[in-house]
Formats: sequence, C-alpha cells, structure tokens
Amino acid sequence: MDVPATVRTALADRPVEGRRCLEAGAGAGNAAAGLLDAGAADVLAVTNDREHARTVRERVGTDHPGRVGVFEADLRSIPLPDDSVAVVTAHALFNVVPTTDLDVIASEITRVAAPGAHLLVDDYAPLPDGASIRDLFALENAARELADARPALTFYPGGVLRGVFETRGWEFDRRKTLLDPVPWTESHVTAHADTVRDAAARIDGDLRNVLVNRTDSLVTEIGSESVGEMYSLAFQLPE
Amino acid sequence: MQTRTLGATGQRSTVVAFGAIALNWLEQEGANQMVELVREHGINHFDVAPTYGDAELKLGPKLRQYREDIFLGCKTQERSYEAAWKKLERSLDRLGVDTIDLYQVHGLEYEDELETITAEDGALRAFREAQEQGLIDHIGLTSHGNPDLILDAIGEIDDMDSLMFPLNPVVDARDDADHDYDAVLQRADQEDIGTLAIKTFAKGPWPDTDELPEHERPYANWYEPVDDPETIRERLNYTLSRGVTSVLTPGDPKLVKMVLDAGDRFEELDEAAQRAIVEQARHDESPVPEQLHH
Ligand SMILES: C[S@@+](CC[C@H](N)C(=O)[O-])C[C@H]1O[C@@H](n2cnc3c(N)ncnc32)[C@H](O)[C@@H]1O
Repeated sequence: MDVPATVRTALADRPVEGRRCLEAGAGAGNAAAGLLDAGAADVLAVTNDREHARTVRERVGTDHPGRVGVFEADLRSIPLPDDSVAVVTAHALFNVVPTTDLDVIASEITRVAAPGAHLLVDDYAPLPDGASIRDLFALENAARELADARPALTFYPGGVLRGVFETRGWEFDRRKTLLDPVPWTESHVTAHADTVRDAAARIDGDLRNVLVNRTDSLVTEIGSESVGEMYSLAFQLPE
Repeated sequence: MQTRTLGATGQRSTVVAFGAIALNWLEQEGANQMVELVREHGINHFDVAPTYGDAELKLGPKLRQYREDIFLGCKTQERSYEAAWKKLERSLDRLGVDTIDLYQVHGLEYEDELETITAEDGALRAFREAQEQGLIDHIGLTSHGNPDLILDAIGEIDDMDSLMFPLNPVVDARDDADHDYDAVLQRADQEDIGTLAIKTFAKGPWPDTDELPEHERPYANWYEPVDDPETIRERLNYTLSRGVTSVLTPGDPKLVKMVLDAGDRFEELDEAAQRAIVEQARHDESPVPEQLHH
C-alpha cells in the first residue's frame, strides 16, 4: 500500500531500520506500513478494534509476511514485556483517547519502550474558532458522550502531549508540521457523520433525531474543509 | 506572470506554458483569440506537436505575428533519422517559421525506442544536425512513461535541455516505482534540465467507453480533468511549488482561461501545505473506506 505523506514525513528523521516497532493504535495501519517501508525489523500493531485489526492484517500483513504482529488489546494494558520495543508510533492516536485514559496509556507506552527508544506522537492541534468541521466533531462528541459516556475526539495541543511524555522521562527532540491546513475531505466528513449516526442510534428520546438531522444538514453544508494543523512530536528515552 | 529559468537554456519561461493542442478544437478565428488571450497573460512559452490535429496550422498566423516573443516547443513521435528530419521540416512548414526553439522527442514509452533514437540512424542525429543548421535551438524529451525509462534517457542523452512529464498530487500520493516522477524531477534538477509538467489537472482516467462514449466526454483532454477554479488553482500551486519550471495548460480550451488566471495568482506552498494536498488526493482515491484520520 502507499505510505501517506504524513507518516513518511514524520518517520523521515527517525532511526527505524532493523528495529522492533510498536504502532500504538493501529487504525488503518498507515504508520505500520511506513515503519516497514522504512526498514523496521518488525511491527507490533495494537488496536482495540476488531475491524481495524483485520484491516491492518489485510492491508499491511499481506505485503510484509512475517513482519507484522497485530494485537487486539487495550493500550491501557499493553500485552508486552517491559523494555521490549525500540520505536513507538502514536500516529493520530491521542485524538481518540479521552483525557481519562491519557495518563495510563502514556505510562504503558513508556513501560514497554526500551532505554534509548524513540517515540513519535502525531496528532491534530485544536481547531481554530470558526471551522465548520468543529460543529460536526461537536455533534460526534455529544452523541458519543450520551451513548457511551466518553467523547469521540479530543484534539490535544502539542504542548500538552509533550508535557505528558516529558514527565515520564522522555526527552523532547523536535516538533514538525505534517499538515497545514488539514484536508477534511468529503470521505472524512461522511465517515465522521456515520459515527454520529451510529452513536445516535444508541440514544433514546428526542435528542437522537435532533443529532441526526443536524448531522445530515451539516454534511451538505461542509462538503469538505481544509483547516487546522497536524503536528509531529519526536522524543527519545535516555540510554 | 512569474517566470523561471528553463534548465541551462537561458530561456526564462512563464510558470504556465501554453499547450497549443487546445487550438485544434477551435476555428481559426477562435484560435487567434485564444493566442491573444494567452499573450495577455504574458505567456511566453508555447508547445505544439504535429499529432495535435490542425494545431500547428492554427497556431501559425499568430505565432508568425509574435514570433520574437514566443519560445516555441514542438515535438516528433518519429524515432528514425530520416522520418524525424521529414517531420521537422513539415512542422516548420505548417507553422510557417524558420526555427523552433525546443524540439522534443515526443512520448517516449519503451526501452527499445530509446535505443532507436540514440542509435546512429536514430532521430537524435537528425535533431543534432538541425541544431547545427540553426533550425532548432534546444533538445528535449516528453514522456508519460515509466520514470525509470526517463531516468535512463537522461543518462543516455547528454544534450537534453528539457523534460516534460506528468506531475500532480494524485501521482505523488502513490509511492510505487511506476509513479516515482519525483525521482525524475530531482535528477533533472541535478543535471540542470528544465522541467515541464503535464497532467497537472488530471482527476483520473475517463470512465470506460461503454459507460461514457468518447464523443460524450465533456472535455477534450486525454484524462478527466479537475474543472473548478479553486481546485485548478490548488493543483497549479502544488505542482509549481514542487519546483518544475512550467506547467502546461490542459488540452481543452474551456479550461485554459482558468489555468491562466491561476497562474497570475500563483502562490508558493510550503511543504506542510503541499502534503495537505497530497493527503487530500490520497483520500479521494483511497480504497479503504471510513478512514477518519490522515
Ligand atoms: C485513528 S486510529 C490511528 C491511525 C493509525 N495509527 C494509522 O496510522 O493508520 C486510532 C486507533 O487507536 C485505537 N485505540 C484507541 N484507543 C485505544 C485503546 N485504549 N486501546 C487500544 N487501541 C486503541 C483505535 O481502535 C484505532 O485503531
């Protein structure tokens, strides 16, 4: 598969060749594909989503037989021993991690990282006021809060995530801008709208229809929108 | 409109160059008006070919009127010495001019063609003789073929002054060797070869002719183009920011003006903004549904 420009750019200045890597939050496996392409010895890809696990096996596993291990597990307790990986990527992970889980996941990532390990944290900066896509994300958060008692998305400022890892002994190396603006394409808008509808379906009462109707009209209103920043933070643990 | 240096030629070409194939779809008077429009935007680099229907003939009158101001590129699909000479003379005749500034090997596609043109009785010998006689000034090559083949051609043809090849964010989003025109761009820069981008406004191939017969296509392009001013501007800004000398206008006359306007307003994009456009293209094309992230 094609490695996205975001992943390629984030990995460009990281030593990946020959190392064991962890993709924390495997999603579509983009970072896993990038790591393998950059010469990783192997990639352990962790996700708590069965569909994502399957996607990664199919998209990435088949291209690189024997070099990808997909773990369906929770990052709050990573099923790996201490000091077992040399590179960790959290590419577009933390925006789906609620504040309540942030500390635990950061601690777990730190635990499994070997001395001298490298860490990439790529994520979205909070969107500026006036971005229309914010309304869609607000609906998504409202629907998920009402349905599952947790938000769907949290856009952490880079400085916050930097602090979270520095507190745990990671040395900050650099910040890069991966995307500016961030292209929220029609396919993103549609996919996010679908998650609102899914969550709304689990809510009883009037709010369900309100959320769905507002989502339907927002999708047409927004179409697509390029706004915001995706950044990349790089860290290293002392040897 | 801004200009950039075309490799080692000394020529400074406008960042948008006029692909005169568009004239083929117009009556003579329409063709004249189009050339006037193009010149109003300051365009000084024109490109034509004998295979573009009547384009050479229709370009002729205005080309002769403004000959001094126009850097004229032409090309040939002939691969042999004799045939290339004949085709060059025919183009000079149809255009009604004495010289062509840039004569290009047109549409190199196969490795054996490269062998043929570089051989003793190959087209390039005709090019070089014509150059000695002052009929052409510079030698170039065009291809939408395999990037590796183009790299080979750069290696084989020492006196190559310009290269024309596809460049757009959709192509850049793919990272297999068949789409690695970035390698061509880098190499051309190293060798001080001017770079001319084609297919900059391509959205994708046309649907199958069963679905959309050729005569029903809304545009006379080889590919289905992007056709709204904002996307056209984004494509142009992107491709020029990648560092090519000039971008060719698309083949359909309806789109030419939009590209000229975008050229007047060209703004360099930084790398994060370029990646944003590549990401957008990747998602528009992506086979994986429901990707929420980048
Ligand atoms: C947006 S995706 C990340 C994109 C992916 N890194 C890529 O490059 O394609 C977020 C992933 O993190 C996973 N995830 C979120 N919270 C998690 C948790 N607590 N434990 C395990 N996986 C989690 C999600 O299931 C999803 O697969």
